[in-house]
Formats: sequence, C-alpha cells, structure tokens
Amino acid sequence: MKIYRRISTWIMLGITVVIPLLFTIAFVLLTEDNNANNWEAMMLESQVLFLLITIFAVVKSSETVAGEFSRGTIKLLLIRPWSRSAILLSKFISIILFALLFTVVSFAVTWLANVVAFGYTANPANLISDQSPLAGGSPWAYALRYYLDEFITLVVVVTFGFMLSAAFRSSGLAIGLSLFLLFSGTMISGLLSLTDKAWVKYVLFPHLGLSTYLNGGTPVPNHPTTYAFSLGVLAVYFVIFNVISWTVFTKRDVSA
Amino acid sequence: MSQAPVVSLQNVSKRIGGRTIIDRLTLEVNPGEVFGFLGPNGSGKTTTIRMMVGLITMSGGDITIAGHSVKSAFPQAIARVGAIVENPEMYKYLTGYQNLIHFGRMNPGIDKARIDEVVALVGLQDRIHDKVKKYSLGMRQRLGVAQAILHRPALLILDEPTNGLDPAGIRELRDYLRKLSREEGTAVFVSSHLLSEMELMCDRVAIIQKGELIDIRSLRTESAGVSAAMEEVLFEVDRPSEAVTALEGRGSARFVDGGFSVTADRETIADMNARLVAAGIRVYGIRVKIKSLEDQFLEVTGGETIG
Repeated sequence: MKIYRRISTWIMLGITVVIPLLFTIAFVLLTEDNNANNWEAMMLESQVLFLLITIFAVVKSSETVAGEFSRGTIKLLLIRPWSRSAILLSKFISIILFALLFTVVSFAVTWLANVVAFGYTANPANLISDQSPLAGGSPWAYALRYYLDEFITLVVVVTFGFMLSAAFRSSGLAIGLSLFLLFSGTMISGLLSLTDKAWVKYVLFPHLGLSTYLNGGTPVPNHPTTYAFSLGVLAVYFVIFNVISWTVFTKRDVSA
Repeated sequence: MSQAPVVSLQNVSKRIGGRTIIDRLTLEVNPGEVFGFLGPNGSGKTTTIRMMVGLITMSGGDITIAGHSVKSAFPQAIARVGAIVENPEMYKYLTGYQNLIHFGRMNPGIDKARIDEVVALVGLQDRIHDKVKKYSLGMRQRLGVAQAILHRPALLILDEPTNGLDPAGIRELRDYLRKLSREEGTAVFVSSHLLSEMELMCDRVAIIQKGELIDIRSLRTESAGVSAAMEEVLFEVDRPSEAVTALEGRGSARFVDGGFSVTADRETIADMNARLVAAGIRVYGIRVKIKSLEDQFLEVTGGETIG
C-alpha cells in the first residue's frame, strides 16, 4: 500500500506511459520514409525506458528501507510479531513487484503505440542481426528475450540499491551510489577491459549488459563468456548483496 | 487474575564500547499495574525500553514478557506488547486510517470493527481520514496510542507519552491509562519526566540513575496503615507561640511562617485541634505534609541531571 499511495509512484507510471508515446509520435512525424516498423521503434523506446525504469526502481528500493529509518517509522514496524527477516523480505518482494509492473507496462505501451502508429510487421528485416543467436527467428522472441535480459539486470541493480539502503540507512546515499555505479559501470568495464586481464570476467559491470548477447556479442571483449556464465556471475552478486542486506538489517541496533 | 508478572527484567545489561550503560537491571511489572520509570536525563530509561521491545540487543541478562523471552522468542513476546517509543512516527502521506490498517495487518485478528473501535476510543473519529501530515502533535500522540492498543496488548510501554500534549490531553491520557489497567488488566509501563503526572497515574515507580536501579517505591499507601503512621502536620493558627503553649509541648513543634508544625499520628491531630480551639486559638488550616514524589526523587538521585 505504501508504495502505491504516493504521488511519486503515479508520476513515475505516468512518465513511463507518456515517454514512449512521445517517441512514437516523433518517429511518425519525423521519418520521411516508411521503412520504420513497429518493432524497431519499440526496441528503441524500450532502451530508453529501461534506463528510466531502473532509475525509478532504484529510487523506490532505496527509499523502502532507508526511508523507514529517516522517518522513524522503523520503530513501529519492528515492534510487531514479525521477525526482521520477514519484514525485509516483504519489502524486497514489494520492490521486485514494482519493477515487474513497470516492465510489463513498458512492454505493453511500446508495443501498442507502435503497432497503432506503424502497423504490425510480422517479419521485420533489420531487427535481428545475423550474429545473434536468435537470427531468423520471430521478433516476438527477440523482444521478449530483450525484456527478460533487461529485467534481470534491473533486479540485480535494484538489489544493490536495496543493500545500500539497509546498510547506510540513508536513501540519498543509496540512490546516489547506485546510479553512479550504474552509469559509470560501462566506463569502468571499458577501463578494465583495457587491462586485458582474465579476472575482468568476474567483475559485475560488464555482465549487467546482458542484452549484448542478443546481438551476438559478448560483454567482455577478448574474453568470451557465455550467457550462462553471465547469469552465474549475476547470481553470485545477487546472493552476496542479499546476504549483506539481511545481516545488516537483522543484527544491528536501532538507536536513532 | 494470575499474579505472574507481565514483564520481568533479569540482570539486564548493556555495554557499548567498554562503557556499561545499563548495569544488571532487575525489576518486574504485574498485570493491571501502572508502573512508572523515572530517572534523570541520560540515566538509561530509553535504552531500557528499547531493549524491552527488541530494538536494541542486550549485552547481558534477559527480558521476559508474558512468559516469553525477548531474546529467544521475540515474535511471541512482542505479540503481547503495544508501544510508543519517543515520538509516534506515522506515515505522513497516508491517512490515520490507512496507517492503522497497515499496522493492523501485521498482527493477526484485527478487523475493520476493531480499528473503528480504537479510533472512537482515542477520539479521532472526525480526522481519521485526513492525511497524517495535517495532524497536530496531540492528534499524532493519540494515533500513536491507537496503533499501540489495536491488538489488545497485555503490556503497554510508553516512553514520554505526555510530550506535547496540552493539559486536557494529558488528563485524558492519564484517565485512559488508568481505565485500561483497571478494566482490561493491561500493565502499563511509563517512563516520564513529569513527576506530578507520574504521581497521579502510577501505582509503583522505579528510579534509575546512571544505568542502575536505585529504588522501587509504591505510591499508593494502604488506608489501613495510615492511622498508625506518624506524619508531619502543619497547623495554620493566628498565634503560634500561644498555640504551642496550649499544647503543653506535646510533640516537638517547629515554628513556621503562619503557624507551626509537629510530628503526630492521626488521632493526636484531632486531639490537638480540640485543645487549640478550647484555648481560644483560631485554627485556619491543618495540612498533612506528604513528601512529594519530586522531593523523594531529587533526594534519591542527589539532584544530578546527566548520568
């Protein structure tokens, strides 16, 4: 209830719906040739949207724990017949559901808006590159796979923000650090790649770009990895983040 | 009603970085009792309360609530507790009613009827559907009490509950707490600085200083014992020296402004009055001087403020 009663959530949802609509309208108005098809437009808009959704979800996930501390309501929450683990888990689930909702809305809106604008194309020509593992397949599979990859990345980033929120009890710090790492992640990956060391494969950042597999590439140049490997690395980080969140939330005193 | 204590602190200690903040605190609160927790600033009252509700871990000892240990069986222990620790913080962007629904969901068995009942009990019916950010402090305190009693706790823990309440609010709270303890058998554990309020409200008080329990006193004197007790009595008379002479020096009298005071028991007071009137002395007033809680408190804690 708490997430959905805040105006900020509804504004975020509104933005998620409006932005792709604006993009679509822009495409229609600005492209002279009508080679543009609904799938391409959809993928373009989705890229932008996922960036936005990640920011929104990180803000919410940072808020959910740290906000309770800064507002003082954590006291009332903890003086209840619930273990601290249960409380933390329920918050985490609510954030994941939030991210899921926005992802689904994004898919629906981008698909619908572009089909309305451009008509439905069953076999778009330039959508899937030949190096992609999905080459020659249906655009549906491509789009869904893209969304799945991005959603997994989203979950890992949000877990990171959640962990910072629980550890530092400050939503500002959690949001700032998460977004900083998200954006500078590509740069850091690039820098690390220059060193050409094998252990770069184990660093988190390259693997956040899961969708590179889709287009036939690998996240870490010179050290090819498989999709399964990336998932594995992400899973390990996911577990580490959650263990930290859990330890810190359950064991520490609340004295503020 | 069983007389097993509702909450029992056994040798509770808290050490932070080598400093012992709470030192082997041991006390018990019985069902239906209003128990006051007094101490100078920094004596450890809030720390103790935070340990009782599980916000802070104990370095030593244990706290048992309704038979369950807070350390090993936290959810069962805390299920019988309602608490307000310092200011009752609510979600400002929700209405009072939504706040109660939210907290009510965390305890089993709280339905809409119970929420309505509690809202009526604290007198917030008119404003309960407004957002909390519009509430005055008094209303927030009342909402805090509401969330604390939703699940009919056996123990109500209040940390400085009269903060920010106007006299009418304080009076209402006091009456309500006494009613709770008498009618529902709820034990109430209150920590406060307002000694005059504690005096009116509490059955027993514990005095803590520098993390140590100094004393536990009962504030309700049994009427059976009073008649035999010797108390200090102040007589207001028009001619003190003549009055004392008329009493033939019975008991050692001290002269005070407007009269004199003696130590005497109940029957002797009546006798003295009769004699004074017979001797033509005008008696304007007779007052039994009870040492106020404030005097006792300051005496016991040596008047220091910071622990």
